[in-house]
Amino acid sequence: MHSPELLKGTLQTILLKVLKDHGKMYGYEITQRVKELSDGHILLTEGALYPSLHKLDAEGLLKTETVMMGKRVRKYYTLTPEGKSLVKERVSEFVEFIRTMGNVLQIELN
Amino acid sequence: MLTNDHIDYIIKDLNYRGIVVEGIQDELIDHICSAVETEMAGGSRFIDAYHHILKSFGHTAGLRETQKQVIDSENIKPKDMLKNYFTVAIRNLRKHSFYSFINVAGLSIGLAICFVISLFVINEISYDKHFVNADRIYRVKSEIKFGGNHSNMLYCPAVMAGTLATEYAEVEAAVRFRERGSYLVKRTIDNIKEDHVIWTDKDFFKVFGIPVIAGNAETALAEPNSIAISERMAEKYFPNENALGQTLILDNEMNVKITAIYKTLPTNTHFHFDILIALEGLEEAKRPVWYSNNFQTYLLLRTAADSKKLESKFPALVVKRVMPQLAEVLGGDFTMEKFIAAGNKMEYTLQPLADIHLKSSLQGEFEPNFDIAYVYLFLAVALFILIIACINFMNLSTARSANRAKEVGIRKVMGSFRSHLMRQFLIESILLSFISILFALLIAYVLLPLFNELSGRTLVIPFQQPALYEIIILAALGVGFLAGIYPAFFLSAFKPVSVLKGHVALGMKSGFIRSALVVFQFTVSIFLVIGTMAVTQQLNYIQNKKLGFNKDQVLVIEDAYALGRNRMPFKDEIMRSGKMENATMTGFLPVSGTWRSDNPWWVEGRDPAVQENMVSIQNWRVDYDYIKTMGMNIKEGRDFSLDFPSDSSAVIINEAAIKHFNFSGEIIGSKIATFGDDGKGGPDRNKLNTLTVVGIVENFHFESLKQNVTPLMMELSKQPEGPISFRFQSQNTQEVIKLVETKWKEMAPGQPFTYYFLDQRFGSMYAAETQLGKIFGIFSVIAILIACLGLFALTAFTAEQRMKEIGIRKVLGASISSIVMLLSKELGKLVLIAFVLAAPLAWFGINWWLKEYAYKTEIGVRLYLAAGIAAFIIALTTMSFQSFKAAASDPVKSLKSE
Repeated sequence: MHSPELLKGTLQTILLKVLKDHGKMYGYEITQRVKELSDGHILLTEGALYPSLHKLDAEGLLKTETVMMGKRVRKYYTLTPEGKSLVKERVSEFVEFIRTMGNVLQIELN
Repeated sequence: MLTNDHIDYIIKDLNYRGIVVEGIQDELIDHICSAVETEMAGGSRFIDAYHHILKSFGHTAGLRETQKQVIDSENIKPKDMLKNYFTVAIRNLRKHSFYSFINVAGLSIGLAICFVISLFVINEISYDKHFVNADRIYRVKSEIKFGGNHSNMLYCPAVMAGTLATEYAEVEAAVRFRERGSYLVKRTIDNIKEDHVIWTDKDFFKVFGIPVIAGNAETALAEPNSIAISERMAEKYFPNENALGQTLILDNEMNVKITAIYKTLPTNTHFHFDILIALEGLEEAKRPVWYSNNFQTYLLLRTAADSKKLESKFPALVVKRVMPQLAEVLGGDFTMEKFIAAGNKMEYTLQPLADIHLKSSLQGEFEPNFDIAYVYLFLAVALFILIIACINFMNLSTARSANRAKEVGIRKVMGSFRSHLMRQFLIESILLSFISILFALLIAYVLLPLFNELSGRTLVIPFQQPALYEIIILAALGVGFLAGIYPAFFLSAFKPVSVLKGHVALGMKSGFIRSALVVFQFTVSIFLVIGTMAVTQQLNYIQNKKLGFNKDQVLVIEDAYALGRNRMPFKDEIMRSGKMENATMTGFLPVSGTWRSDNPWWVEGRDPAVQENMVSIQNWRVDYDYIKTMGMNIKEGRDFSLDFPSDSSAVIINEAAIKHFNFSGEIIGSKIATFGDDGKGGPDRNKLNTLTVVGIVENFHFESLKQNVTPLMMELSKQPEGPISFRFQSQNTQEVIKLVETKWKEMAPGQPFTYYFLDQRFGSMYAAETQLGKIFGIFSVIAILIACLGLFALTAFTAEQRMKEIGIRKVLGASISSIVMLLSKELGKLVLIAFVLAAPLAWFGINWWLKEYAYKTEIGVRLYLAAGIAAFIIALTTMSFQSFKAAASDPVKSLKSE
């Protein structure tokens, strides 16, 4: 498990990228997908996930659609065009960050 | 898979745990359901899986925190949020326009008062700070106690300034002033009277650093008969001309040359000299005499010099310089020890420039100063008025809480946090205070000229200063916050369940704090009313007190010396008109600011070297008609009379003098003596001047009633001079003035005709009191007004709340008067309590204020009662308007609905 402190700044990037790769997703699905991709090393807490999703939504980067499932209501998130264009930017920004961190910490990155 | 029962369980449980916000509730339910399903697929029981998932959320607290964060993260546009607050606020204010009006009216009046007072206080504090070396300028004050006379004054010996400047390392420069009254100034023909004329040294510019526009500050005023004038004077006498080097004529006889023109002194200066005459030309300024104090002395200390250290050297100066000269004059076995043992004192101290305007009231001030106690008093009163206005706001808001309680409840149910509600209420009050402050500015703008007239200042609202706008915004925020914080706390604390069920404490009964606030408002108001009444009573007392002379119907013609040799003929001609009862020519008048002369005298035959024998006494030189003209009373003996040729060596003394002289035997016929004049202005020990007492005049007040009557003697002047006073009979004062003016123009062509009435001048001795009385009067009216506005609204509110009760009471047979009584009773009680609190406070305040008067009025219980009853009646009238309206309303209407 990675420390939540390290995750804090990258949460939005993760959400955007996962949504870009998978299209329509709901909250629980996102946590599961991230867990899977990280081999269980990254567990998104609900307390961090939902505020972030709602924030991205309010900023117009995501759009939502709700589906009635019997007694339950499921809310799906997808990227808006603005959201999509941002993903690439965020990812390359993050790669650049990793590279810089590598230099700073004097580690070889493959 | 989860069954419907499971899902219902989760929905209910989450709801119970407070997850209620739309858009989050559904999402969390789905999330938890999905997670539970996953765990159950792994073999767990439903309830274990559910609790495990809840744990990962952090149970109830964690769930709620998540919900809160989601709400917060959605509110990313504060502008929208604020806009919403504003919309709601404006709607609320408009909906309750009556209460909004009361609030705005009260607050804006309160703020306007605060604003004007702040301008005033800032101006008072700014006095003399503009001088370049303000923190290094000091003036010397003296305390001299000698021969029964005790004076705190600014007068120093002529030689002091020079001695200090040359012999004391701390002093960089020193400057002296000598006042010789007003001057008639002319360029060629017509004289103009100038009041702000002073004799001074050439270091004036060096000490005060006043910018010189033309001429050389170093050399100006160095020569006799040279003067420096202010820019204003230059423009007045030499419009569009270069005034430098030109000549003016002072008092028809002194030709003076203008050697410098300096920048006119700003209004916030403790002196406003327009013409400076070089002291170089005054013989008196060169006398090396240490026991005669006539010159105000200002010092410029060197940078980093210690004023306390300099001050500590003054006693040695007195011993070294003053005492030897005193010993020589008084003769006998005079010693410093005996001087002090007889209870005498001679002490010089320093007063910083910054203390002059607010902390100094000594003999020899150039202009009347202000008192810092009044600055504090005004500030306190302004602040209290503002608080009264804020209290209206608080009371109305909390009183109306019943109406808003539902709003609070519903908003909370809809997911509002307490902080949101508080923000809403605070924004409402801040909006209100913004509106009020705009009105306040308007009121202040209108009020300021009036205030300026009252206070004798020239205040303006500094619209061009950006600081003003910053202060306005800060003040609006501050006042809004102050007024809104209590209602915000109070209202936002309501529990939605109890509010919506209708269990909110309503109306007057709930408000202990509200009652306390009303009591506070009226305590302040009643205090102000009592204060105003006391000041007015003291003023009346002063106006009507038996003064020992008759101040009415006396016309004083100033600058009679401009008549030259025509003085006596002028007086005689006017007497011949038959319009005047009496006339006298002397500058010694029984109002302050006229001539004074103080000398030591003793009963002839006693040893002047024994200090107890010396009486320091006012020595007035008058003429035969003086006592008659002034309407003074001879108690024993007789007035001066032409029938007694020996009256040239006669003296009339007042009752206070008798006490101090301690005559042995018959007073009339006793002789008193002093040293004669040595012809050079000093006393001649070998020549005694002796006068015989022919009459005793009843004590009359020749200074402010703050002081006791001191010993005084009158002798006949060998050469009458000074202004001419006429006692006239005619009721038509205009006619009298016209008569005198015509004669004046005829006999003194080209000279300005100036006059005053003795009672006017007497009144101006109490200008500060009159001012205080008026300002206090205005304050108390405003305080009462604002408090009553609040009371008015509160009664309206109570009546509204109790509409049904009133209706039922009326149906059951209650009379209108009993209902009015019912509605007014509670608030009336509060006013009574306020009176009980205010009375002792006012008693302390009044005693403090009256302390400085030697003669004061008796403030009886009646005054307090009158003030209390007045406040009570005003409050009752205010309330009865509303309560009568409620009581007279038709019960059918109020009971019909529902």
